[in-house]
Amino acid sequence: MRKTKLFNMRQTRVLLIALGISLLALAALGLTRPVAASPAPSSAPVMENATCLSCHDIADITKTLPSGESLVLTIDAGHFNDSVHKNLACTDCHSNISTFPHPDLKAQSLREVSLQVYTICQNCHLEQYDQTLDSVHQRALAAGNTNAAICTDCHNPHTQTQITDPSTGELLPNAHVQIPMKCARCHSAIYDQYKASVHGSALIGDGNLDVPTCIDCHGVHNIQDPTTATFRIYSPLICSKCHTNPAIMDKYGIPTQVLNTYVADFHGTTVTLFEKTSPDQITNKPVCFDCHGVHNIKLVDDPQYGLAMKENLLAACRKCHPDASTNFPDAWMSHYIPSPTKYPIVYYVNLFYKIFIPTVIGGMLIYVFSDVARRLIERRKGVKHA
Amino acid sequence: MSKKMTNKKSTRPTDKKPSRPTARIPRLYERFHWAQRVAHALLLVSFTTLGLTGLPQKYAITGWAQAMIKLFGGIETTRLIHHVAAGILMLLAIYHTLDIGYKIFVRRSRMSMLPGLLDVKDGIQAFVYNLGLGKRRPQMGRYTFEEKMEYWALVWGTVIMGITGFMMWNPLATVRLLPGEIIPASKAAHGGEALLAVLAIIVWHMYGVHLRRFNKSMWTGKLTEAEMLHEHPLELADIKAGITVRTLDPKTLRKRQTIYYPVGSVLAIAMLLGVYGFVSGEKTAITTVPPISSPVAVYVPQTPTPTPTLPPTPATGAAVLTWDGSLGPLFQAKCGACHGTSVKLAQLSFATYADAIKGGQDGPVILPGDPAGSLLIQKQQAGGHPGQFTVEELELVSQWITAGAQE
Repeated sequence: MRKTKLFNMRQTRVLLIALGISLLALAALGLTRPVAASPAPSSAPVMENATCLSCHDIADITKTLPSGESLVLTIDAGHFNDSVHKNLACTDCHSNISTFPHPDLKAQSLREVSLQVYTICQNCHLEQYDQTLDSVHQRALAAGNTNAAICTDCHNPHTQTQITDPSTGELLPNAHVQIPMKCARCHSAIYDQYKASVHGSALIGDGNLDVPTCIDCHGVHNIQDPTTATFRIYSPLICSKCHTNPAIMDKYGIPTQVLNTYVADFHGTTVTLFEKTSPDQITNKPVCFDCHGVHNIKLVDDPQYGLAMKENLLAACRKCHPDASTNFPDAWMSHYIPSPTKYPIVYYVNLFYKIFIPTVIGGMLIYVFSDVARRLIERRKGVKHA
Repeated sequence: MSKKMTNKKSTRPTDKKPSRPTARIPRLYERFHWAQRVAHALLLVSFTTLGLTGLPQKYAITGWAQAMIKLFGGIETTRLIHHVAAGILMLLAIYHTLDIGYKIFVRRSRMSMLPGLLDVKDGIQAFVYNLGLGKRRPQMGRYTFEEKMEYWALVWGTVIMGITGFMMWNPLATVRLLPGEIIPASKAAHGGEALLAVLAIIVWHMYGVHLRRFNKSMWTGKLTEAEMLHEHPLELADIKAGITVRTLDPKTLRKRQTIYYPVGSVLAIAMLLGVYGFVSGEKTAITTVPPISSPVAVYVPQTPTPTPTLPPTPATGAAVLTWDGSLGPLFQAKCGACHGTSVKLAQLSFATYADAIKGGQDGPVILPGDPAGSLLIQKQQAGGHPGQFTVEELELVSQWITAGAQE
C-alpha cells in the first residue's frame, strides 16, 4: 500500500511553500526555457507551466485512488517539451486547476480519470473529436464498455510528438511505425498476428512504409466496426487502394490486376454488385481477406501458408465449398488474366467468340443490308417480285 | 426467336370444302399448330428473360447493367429469375424433343427442317439476286434457308447454353470429371454464346419476320395464299398437288403409338429427372458467411488497465543500499527540484553524497545509524512534504541510514 498526503496538507503551510517553490522554479526554469513563448490558444495561462512542473516534474509522485490504483502525477518536463503541446500551458487543458492544493479528484479509478479528462481534447481538436463520435470505440463506450479507446489512450497529451508533417499533412515515418503498437495496447492478439504477417513484418522488421498499418484499413478516428456486412462488402476497395497502385506494387513485382480479375470472377462480380446496389447486404461470397487472411496475411508463395500452394488454396475453397475436390481450386483463375499459357481453355474460348460473333453477325448484316437495298430498288422501280 | 419449334410437315389446308370457291375470302393455310404457337410464346418469354437477366451479369461493371440488376431486385433475385427462365427453356427443349420424336417415328413426317445443300444454294442465289447479279429469287419450300438457319442456331445455342449453364450451376460435380478450368471456360462460352444469340435475334429474326414483312403466322397460325406463294411457293405447290398430307391408316398409327408412348414416357421421365438434378443436384457452397481463419480475441490489453500517463518506475529494492547504487537517484528525483544544485532551499542539497551528509541551515539532516534522530526522517514522517517519499521509499531511506548511510 502506497500512501501520499499530497492533497491533505494543512492549508497555510502549503500555500506558503507552494508560492516559494513557484517563484524559485520560475527563476530557475523561466530563464532557460521559454515555456510561454508561443501564445496558447486561450487567454494567458492562470499559472505558468514552470509552476506546475516544479512539483510535477518530480519523479514518481503518485496519488492512490479509491480503487487502490496509483495515479502517476509526474510530468516529465523533458518529454513534455519534446511534445507537440510544448507551447500550451498546463492550465489550457487543466483549466480547473488554479490553486494549490488542487481540487479533489472525483475519479474513483485510473480509468475514470481518463474518462473525465479526455473530452478536453475537443477544445482544440474538434474535427478529430467529432470523428471519434462516429467510431466503434465511442459506440462501445456509450454502451457501457469503459475500456473502449478514448483520445488519451492513443495520444498521451503530455508526451505526444508530432504525428504528421505540418507542410504536407502526411504521416511522419516515426509515427507510421508506432501506430500498430498503439493499437496493440488493447488489441495485442491481433498485433501479434499482424507482426508475423507480410505487412507487419515489413513494417516492424524493415521499417517499410509502403505497407499498411492498422489505420490504413480501419481509419483513424472514425474507426468503423469491421464485422458489419457493409465493411465486408467494401473491403476489396480497401485492399485495392494499394494493390492497384503501380507506384507501390511495381517495387515488389506484385501485379495490379488483382481487383479487375476478382471483379471479373463470379465472387467478385457479386460483391461488387452488392457494393453498388445494396452495400448493407450480407453476403457469403468471399472478399480478399476470406482467402488471404485478415491480419495474418502471408505472401502467396509462402511455403507454409501461401495460397500458391494448391493445398492451401483448396483449404481456402473448402471454407465455403466443403465438398470441393482437388480440381476445384482451378475454377478460380488465381487473379490471372487468361493467356495461352495461363488458363488456355478460357483464353481460347474467349478468342473463339471474339472471332465467331463478328463473323456470324457481320455475315447476317451483310445479307440483311443487301436484302433491304434490293427491296428498296424494286419498290422504286415498281417491280412486283414474284 | 425461331418461330419453328418443329419440323412438322403436317400442314393441311384449312378449308375443307374446296368445292365452294369464293374469290372474296382469301384462302388460308395452316402454318403452325396451336401447340407450336404456345411453345414459341413460352420460348419468347424465357429467351427474353434470360437475355435481360443474363447480359447485365456479363457486363456487371457497367452502369446500365447495375441499373437493370437493381430494377430486378438485386443480383440474387436476378440470378433466381435467370434460373427459373432457364428451367422453362429446359422443359421446352424436352417437350420439343418428344414432339419431334413423335413426328419422326409415329407419323413418319418429312423432315422438312433438315438443312441440305439446296439451302446453301438458295442462300447464295438470294444474295446474288440482292446484289443485282441474279435473275430471280430462289423458290423455297416449307422452311426457307433463313428459317432453317435460325432454327439450327437456336438448337446449337440451347445445347451450348445448357451444357455451360450446367457446369456453372454444378461446379463441384463438373470438376470431379473435368479440370477446374472448365468452369471459367464455360462462363466465357455462356457469355459469348449469349451475346451471339441476342444479336442474332435482333439482326436476323427481327429483320426476317418483323421488318421485311410482319409475319403474323406464329400468332395466328395461318398464312394467306398470296403469302404462301410469295414465301413458300414450293410448299404451296406440294399442297396443291396433294402430296403433303400423308394419310396413315389407324391400325399402323395405333401400333406405332403403343411403342412410342412407353418409350417416350421413359425418355420424358429421364429427361425431367435430368432437369431436376440440374437445378437441385448440388449444394455448391455454404449459405453462411465464411469463418475467419485463425480468429483471435479482439480485446486483449497489454496492461490490465490502459494507463493515462507514464507508468511508475519500479521501486528500488537493491540488496546493498548505497548512495550511488539507489539512494542518490531517488534523492535527486524526489528532492532535487528544491534541494539540488540550482535551488537549495534551506541551504540543503541532495545533489551529491557529500551535500546530503553535510546538511542544511539546521545542520545535518542525516545521522548515519540513527534514522529516528535524522531530521530528514522526522520531516518526512510528518508527511505533506512537497517532495514526499512514499512509504516504501521512506522505509528504504531509513534502512540506508540504519546501515550507516554509505556512499
